[in-house]
Formats: sequence, C-alpha cells, structure tokens
Amino acid sequence: MSANPTPRHPHPSPCRFIAGLVAVLLLLTGCDPSDPSAGKKSPAVPTAAPGGVRTIGVAFETLQTEFWVAGFDKLKSECKARNITMLEAVADGDAARQFDQVKNFIQRGVDGIILVPKDGKTVIPMIRAANAAAIPVVLYNRPADPTDARHTTVAPDNAAITRETVDYLISVAKRTGRKQKAMILLGDLSDVNALGRRDGFEAAVQAAGDAVDVVARVPTDWNQEKALAGVQSAFQAHPDIGLIFTSSDFMFPSIKSVLSSLGKWRKYDQAGHVILGGFDGDATAYQLMTEGYVDATGVQDVYWEAEQAIQAIVDARAGKAVPARIDDRGFAITQENLKQLAPRMWGAKQPLRP
Amino acid sequence: MNPAVPVPLRRLSADARAAILLPLVLFLLLAAFTPGFATAGNLGNLVVAGLPLLVLATGQTVVLITGGIDLSVTAVIGLTSVLGALVMSGDAGWLRGSPAATPVALAVMLGTGATVGLLNGSCIAWLRMPAFMVTLTTTLFMGGLAVWLAQRQVHAESIYNLPAAFLLLGNRPGLAAGVAIAAAAATHLLLTRTLLGRWFQAVGYNPRTALISGVPVGGTVVTAYVLSGMMASLTSILITARLETGSPSHGRTLLLDVIGAAVIGGTSLFGGKGTVPGTAAGVLFLALLSNGLNQLNLSDFFITMVKGAVILMAALLDVRRNRWARES
Repeated sequence: MSANPTPRHPHPSPCRFIAGLVAVLLLLTGCDPSDPSAGKKSPAVPTAAPGGVRTIGVAFETLQTEFWVAGFDKLKSECKARNITMLEAVADGDAARQFDQVKNFIQRGVDGIILVPKDGKTVIPMIRAANAAAIPVVLYNRPADPTDARHTTVAPDNAAITRETVDYLISVAKRTGRKQKAMILLGDLSDVNALGRRDGFEAAVQAAGDAVDVVARVPTDWNQEKALAGVQSAFQAHPDIGLIFTSSDFMFPSIKSVLSSLGKWRKYDQAGHVILGGFDGDATAYQLMTEGYVDATGVQDVYWEAEQAIQAIVDARAGKAVPARIDDRGFAITQENLKQLAPRMWGAKQPLRP
Repeated sequence: MNPAVPVPLRRLSADARAAILLPLVLFLLLAAFTPGFATAGNLGNLVVAGLPLLVLATGQTVVLITGGIDLSVTAVIGLTSVLGALVMSGDAGWLRGSPAATPVALAVMLGTGATVGLLNGSCIAWLRMPAFMVTLTTTLFMGGLAVWLAQRQVHAESIYNLPAAFLLLGNRPGLAAGVAIAAAAATHLLLTRTLLGRWFQAVGYNPRTALISGVPVGGTVVTAYVLSGMMASLTSILITARLETGSPSHGRTLLLDVIGAAVIGGTSLFGGKGTVPGTAAGVLFLALLSNGLNQLNLSDFFITMVKGAVILMAALLDVRRNRWARES
C-alpha cells in the first residue's frame, strides 16, 4: 500500500492565491473604514443639509422582549413623523456584530446613531469610532461605563424606581403581619440597568429592617428559561417564599408558571397570594396588574425615552448643547394607584394578549 | 449515474476553484445593483469584520477535513477572552502594570485554546467518543467556566482596561489583517505542502485505510483539534482587542457562520476534502451577503434567514457531490 494515500484535489496555486488575497485585503484595510471620506457616501442614504438630520442608524442589542420592541417601534414611528430615514440593525447579543453595524452606519454617513449596547464596556470603542467621524451617539436605555468618549445617555433611574417599587411591596408584606421570605430575579450583571435594579432592591430591603428576609437571589442573564429554573429551585429550597421581585417584567410568565404549578398563583386579595413586583411597565405586567396578580411594577417611559433620543441627535446636529445624561424619572405603579397612573404606563397602550 | 445532472455540472461542483468564483459573482451582482456597496470604505469594513471568521473557519476546516467537527470553538473564544483579560487588565489583571502582561496573556490565551483542543482530540481519537458530543460538552463546561471566572474575579461579565500594546491589534486593521492572513496562509501551506496535511485528508477519507497505510490516525486527529483550539484563541485575541473588553459572550453567534463558510468553500462535512482558499472564499461570500443585504436596508432577521438558506444549500450540494463521487 502507498504510504501517501491521499488523492490529489485541484488547488488554485497557493502562492498566487495568497499573494492576491493579501494584496486585496491589505489594500482595503489600509484605508480607515470609519472615515467617511475613504469612500463615496452611499447614494441610498439621504444626506442632510448642514445642521439637519436626514438619516439615523439604530442598532439594538436584542428585540427579544416587549420593552425593546416597543422602543424600536417608537423610534421608527418618531423618525417617520420627523421625515428621518431610519437604518436598523439588531446584533442578537453579539458585541462584535454590533461594532460592525456601527462601522457600517458610519461608512454610510448617517447623521446620528442610537445604540442599545450589549453592555457598558464593549460600547466604548463604538462610541469612539463615531466620535472620530463626528457623528453624535445616543445610548438608549443602557448606559456605558465611565468613559471620556462623547455621547448622550437617555435612561431611567433604575435604582430609584426600583426602590420605590420594592418599598411598596414591603409595605404590603408588613400588612401580612409576619416576616416574609423574599426572592429577587437578577438581570445580566454586565448590564448597568440590572445592577441599578439590584441596588434599588437591596436598598429597600435594608431600609425595611426585619420585615423581609431575602433567601434567594436568582441570576437570569435576562433569560426566561434560566429564570424558570431558578425560581423552581428557590421554591424547592424555600417553599414559603412570599415576595418576589423580578428585574424585568418579561420574566413574569416564568414566575407564573412555577407559582401555578405550586397552587400559589393567586390574586392580591386572596389568601396565600405571593407578593409580586417587577420593572419595565410592559403589557404583560399591565394585564397581570389589572387581573390582580401583580402588586406593583416600576415603569420607565419608553416612548418619552425614544423621543428624547432622537431629539438629542437633532439638537447635537443643530449645534445645541446636549446633556451627557437625560434621566427618565419613571414611577412605581401599584394596585393602589393603577387607575390613576395607567394612562402613563406604556404597556397599557400596547395590545393585550388574548 | 444519475443522467439528470450533466457531467460538466458535476465536475464544476467538485472543483475547489468553483467555490472561489462564488464571492466574485456575488460581488459583481451587489456592485451592480446595490448603491454605495463598492466603495473603499464599505469594502474595508467588510474585510475587517470578516477577519475573525476567517481565522476561526480555517481551524474548523482542518477538523472537518479529518471527518470531525469542533462545536467548542465559540466557547473557547469566550474562555480565552476572559482568561487573557484576567491576566492583563489594568483594573483586575493578575499582571496589571507589568510589561510582561500582554505577552503572558497572549501565551495563556493560545495555550488555553491548545489545551481545550488537546482534551477534545484525546476524547475523540483515543476514547472513541463522538466529536459532536465531546465538543458540545466542552462548550457547556468552558462557557460556564468563563462566566464563573469573570464573576468571581471582577463581579461582572466584562473586563475592561486592557493594555495599549494588546489593543493595537484592534485599532490597526492592517495589523489584524496581517495576523489573520498569516494564520490562514500557514494553515494552507500545512495542508498542501506537508505530510501532516496529507494525513489530515487521509484520515478524513477513510481512517481505517489511513491506519493500515501507516498514518498515526489518533495523533493526527488530536493535532487537528489542537490547531482548531489555537485558531479559536487567535480569533478571541482579534475580537477582544477590537472590542477592548474581555467577555465570555464574545463569539457566541459565530458557530453557524464558521461551519457555513467552510462548507460553502467546498469543505466536505463527510471529511477528506477541503481547502483554506475555499474557506476564505466562503467567509468572503458570507461577509458580502450580510453587507450587501444590509446596504439594501433589509432587516437583520431577513439577512439571517438568507444566510441560513445559503448554508443549507451548500450542505445539500456537499451531500450530492459525495453521492456523485460514489456513483462514478
């Protein structure tokens, strides 16, 4: 038998191929892709008059929850109302892909970029790339870590809104006359929003003294399946948990699934009710509140944030001063003020599930 | 023989050079019909974005040639990104401030990739475990380890403040391109000009025949996985430097693109066949497709669907090619 049994395949000449590839790639990468002057601006992108805004690139990390979809849709409708073309991109949780999308926006000569970053750190080189091309950047609902890269953040005061919400939950717990065991569903801890909500929860618990005992802090990474598994495990270890706070409303279905299987899915005025609170103010939370299962949720004004994000770009392009941080003050909506505050809750304006 | 498929078409589908024509044809189509596509700035972006995929797919090509598959590459990217950052970060790095931080971090990253490859290859070659099961399990373990390490050391998933020397790879696209192309070219030469390259193909064609012919089958398979692990580490270096952050989530979405690029480039999922130029063409094809459809303002969901369909067609062609080869 032959010691070299490999059949031959037709190969392109390796040297020619590699030399050609190297030449083309180095030629292309030699020019700074973030420099709009490196190539002609795409005729597909309308160009703005000086000081005007004709095109905005919007790059979201994900569209997996009602909150992000509502924000994305509002940005789209707001752009349309202002006669601005919106270029869209979704990174599906991949920071490298988001960077490519931002570079693409820059190359296409957009007048501004609105970003929901994967996290507060990986977004910094993206902001720098936009800074280098003199394109204003607004971070929508998710701030960057401290940086000297110029940008504006439109975001809620997560800690304050959560504190207000959890204060209410604890006041309900106190009315039961016994110390309640509590659980928090944490978000992705690389997300500043998740950290703010955790801190708001812990501050409220600490201020409440002996009223509640936190027996479970469930990491979810913003994943419903992880939330489901975590809540199940927590109830196995502590079947008498009486208060649950979720860092985002989109995890209520996971909580409902576990509580239903345990016979604990009860309304706030029924015996054996588990006190429930969340954050976001989405349509699911609104429905569960009107049905009486959820006690309170922290509401951020997604529509207002979208309007402010676009306005910040318009102002920056017009040469006006734009603050580095625009706070969405938000509020806690509870069973006691539901009727009064529902008109201000964005989830109440979304279609209810059948 | 199936008379429905003309012989010239079969020959074309079996010719590795045909894969290289694919991106060229797509480029011409996009350039003709997509405004703003064929500009230096856009093409530069496209190439820079494709570099990590080129390196990763090159390693995967070697494993596919041996008849295996390495599903752990994305987890290796995450793990090595965290480990490298934990060594060199100015905030929380074990060697923060030391001039040795960057070289040690690079060595740790490459060494970790090689170790994971060694583990994968050993289980597959010597314990006779299925490649998909071994590498899938490794993915779970390494993915969990990366998150645990990051949270244990810095109480977060992302590690920032990496040394300027390391970030050069991210800030200078030409340097990153040089590194990626050198890695691809070295692998190409390994496959086409060395005995080891022929062993990879022989093992992929028929491991039993290869063994009888004197090929050290076990060692060859292990070497392929070690190479794949090191390429995943190099990909991690490129991504981490570009994003200036170590994170376990880097590269999570690359797996389908990696296998897709290799298969579009003519690498057989049944082993024994594949080339680096073909894989490079596959990478370029996917990059052109994403970029071109994006320039047409199509949504990312649509682009993902088109990519999925193209990869499926490439896999189907691979199956057909193998059937025709057997028939003839």
